[in-house]
Amino acid sequence: MVLYNSGSLNELSEEIGKLTSSKESRLKLTPENADSGLAKLVLTLVELIRKLVEKQAMRRVDGGLLTEGEIERLGETLMKLEMKMEELKKYFNLTDRDLNINLGPLGDLM
Amino acid sequence: MDKMIYAILSVKNNQEKLNLILVGMNGIAGANLNMVSLDGISAVVSDIRRGELIADKSNALAYAGVIENLAQQFTLLPMRYNSLMESTDSIIKILKRNLNEIQLNLRKVENKCEFGLKIFCNSEKLRAEMKAKSVANTKTPAKPAIENKYSVYRDYLNKKLIEHRSEELLLTHVDKIIQDITTHLAQLNPIHKFKKMTTATNIIDVVFLLEKDKKEDLIHIVKDLQNQYTGLRLMLTGPWPPYNFVDITLK
Repeated sequence: MVLYNSGSLNELSEEIGKLTSSKESRLKLTPENADSGLAKLVLTLVELIRKLVEKQAMRRVDGGLLTEGEIERLGETLMKLEMKMEELKKYFNLTDRDLNINLGPLGDLM
Repeated sequence: MDKMIYAILSVKNNQEKLNLILVGMNGIAGANLNMVSLDGISAVVSDIRRGELIADKSNALAYAGVIENLAQQFTLLPMRYNSLMESTDSIIKILKRNLNEIQLNLRKVENKCEFGLKIFCNSEKLRAEMKAKSVANTKTPAKPAIENKYSVYRDYLNKKLIEHRSEELLLTHVDKIIQDITTHLAQLNPIHKFKKMTTATNIIDVVFLLEKDKKEDLIHIVKDLQNQYTGLRLMLTGPWPPYNFVDITLK
């Protein structure tokens, strides 16, 4: 039962829909789409790891512990990683949204 | 036929009352409800064929409906959907093996119920605010910008750094709201569990275990919080059975 809600009911049902609908973000593996389904799964994991690496790198930059040369190389590496990821997404016809699996009550993966 | 368990109740001397309530209720697929009792606790069950049980919306609602009706009359521990046992004997064995933990959890939730508070924001607006602050921070001497010499890689990294800092600011902002909620609620002495950033717009999702008679106080506090955070939308729900506060792994 809703005891208090400061938004409109339409807004509320839209928000609840986002929390509960996971159809688009489910992995649909069937014999017909095994290749693309597997690519989606693998790229999701690769993207998650890439983002974790990026976050850790930003923490190091923010900590002021890197030299100018290291910062330059880090920028180059991260940029190339992102470009490579874009290429792979295009090749497998996937979008950012496809790579963000909904983990139910835990929310979105990324 | 298998037995589906809906909940484990503290019945004490009220077995007759439970019996009467169960007569007027139905479980999944309209099945009759029965109880399996041991030492003042009872498991509410119905017969079900394992192969026929589908995890769809109507069955989940029927399951939750049984638990919520019983929770209005008894202290109970809701069971996870699809908790199946082979027979009444195996349920009694489970109750016997876990009696201490079950009683401990029943005492923890006695006369209490669960409430949920979801806090939504206009994520685009909030993120834009954080980004503006982050850009400002990037130019401060305390956090030296890495833009002395222009290079495409440095430029890329600088943009990433601004994004990173705005995310960190957003999390700090969310933590501050959580701190405020905790302070406001301290007088009600609840047990609570927080989740942050469930979706882009649902920035906080919190569940409380509270004494049943503190519902009005909770609504009052939530209204106060809403007045404090006018840019956020708050939604309070409940009372619910203590779905998020049962801490048992049945042996």
